[in-house]
Amino acid sequence: MKARSSLKQEFLEKWRKGLQIGRNDSTILERKDAIKLSADVAIAATRNAATRWRRALLCDVVSKNPTNKHVVEQILGHKLKNTAATTRLTTACRRRILRRGQNYRRRKRNKRSRALRKLVPGGEEMDGVLLLQETLDYIVSLRAQVDVMRRLAAIT
Amino acid sequence: MREPSREPESPGLNSINSVMNQHLFLHEMLQPFNFEPTSSHEDFLEQMLSSVPPTPSSFPWADDHPPPGNSEDHSAAMRMRHQQISGAAAKALMLQQQLLLSRGFSAPMHDHNDVVDSSSPNSANPANDASIKGLFNVFTGLPGQNSNQSQQFHHLQGGGLQQSQSLSGAAAATSGDGAAGRSKQKVRARRGQATDPHSIAERLRRERIAERMKSLQELVPNANKTDKASMLDEIIDYVKFLQLQVKVLSMSRLGGAAAVAPLAPDKSPEGRQPAASNNSNKEGMAATEQQVAKLLEEDMGSAMQYLQGKGLCLMPISLATAISTATSHSRNPPHNGEAGGGGPSSPSTSVMTVQSSATTIGRKMSLQEAIAAPKLE
Repeated sequence: MKARSSLKQEFLEKWRKGLQIGRNDSTILERKDAIKLSADVAIAATRNAATRWRRALLCDVVSKNPTNKHVVEQILGHKLKNTAATTRLTTACRRRILRRGQNYRRRKRNKRSRALRKLVPGGEEMDGVLLLQETLDYIVSLRAQVDVMRRLAAIT
Repeated sequence: MREPSREPESPGLNSINSVMNQHLFLHEMLQPFNFEPTSSHEDFLEQMLSSVPPTPSSFPWADDHPPPGNSEDHSAAMRMRHQQISGAAAKALMLQQQLLLSRGFSAPMHDHNDVVDSSSPNSANPANDASIKGLFNVFTGLPGQNSNQSQQFHHLQGGGLQQSQSLSGAAAATSGDGAAGRSKQKVRARRGQATDPHSIAERLRRERIAERMKSLQELVPNANKTDKASMLDEIIDYVKFLQLQVKVLSMSRLGGAAAVAPLAPDKSPEGRQPAASNNSNKEGMAATEQQVAKLLEEDMGSAMQYLQGKGLCLMPISLATAISTATSHSRNPPHNGEAGGGGPSSPSTSVMTVQSSATTIGRKMSLQEAIAAPKLE
């Protein structure tokens, strides 16, 4: 219980920090994107930001819109110098996974694992055991995120 | 002495073999190392039993000295063994030892025992190694290969299941017997026993996956499914649900008017997945709504769960209308004008079914979040 509440508090703090960066977005869509972005980056920056899906999420965020980079760095608290390292890591993983690809494709729950990989950020380059592990962590973080956002929305 | 002692042994050994199989199956997790070398001994034993009559000449040294000192060692080893494993296995090993004894072990065997006993920390190993050494001696018939054997037996002490395989391989190589070759095949055919590193790795991997699945089961609701595939389906659904919640919740901060179909996850382009097609069945809807209204009186959470079980969800009218206008599909007419972002009371919410084409499994999914009813907390 203690671990979870501190996770939520951490998320809330970082989310607030991200929202404070202050964008002058006119359309609702843009604002919604900004809110979601801050929330996602905040949840990815919790704990130690070291797990695969967190790194993959941050990389995705930065690559989609390079202007987000300063938001990410603000929330993270340090520079994103490891983006190159992460891409190298992912390509190495990808190569390793593709080498074992025949076994993977032969399995019966192939469709399902593919679907799961699409959902979890960075899931394409994980093998079966790692995928489940990361999914677990991801679900915990998502729940915390949803809880906090819900309560906040309920207040206002 | 040897001939009559063998006759009652063979049928006894067969039954013991079957018992050993069961034990192997049950204790596979617990004591893999203890059991599997023993069972390979059984194979060797059978082969020895069948092959001994034609080759009594290969053990000339056996007839010369049946030293009594060895029996002491063997009984000591047997006693140790007894402490380690169950009765049936111990009995099997006893018979094994007796057989080897009856073959007659020379002094080198004695020395080997001492060497092994002193060096191995695990008390089960000396007995294993003693019997393995005995088998080795029987097969090679060369008591002179002391150093070679001790090396191999040190291997056995450190190793696992692979060692039995290497032993059988080595035995086959050195003796070149048809019997040894048959024993190698038989070892491979054993059920419940991993005889090559690939299956060991596979098993380890499967165990790890099972662990993760179990912990995921506790986390995800509706986890009463025992099937791994349906469990994975649940997990996938739940992750999609949570992701959609995040998306919708970030919209709700803006007052509920959404311009985007909130179905598609952010990673994929929005246009790829056609958004909300409304599949509401008008006749069924009334009964569902009544049920939901009834549940909402007591507990919002249970109402949500009920809806979720049916593949539906609750949302305020404004959001529903916004989504519907965005996707331009037919929809339920709203009961009331205003629901707002606050707590909706039951008659003012509309229930909407949303079908997402994102699932590869083809199940209907309801992935709209009910926004911010305070009772939902």
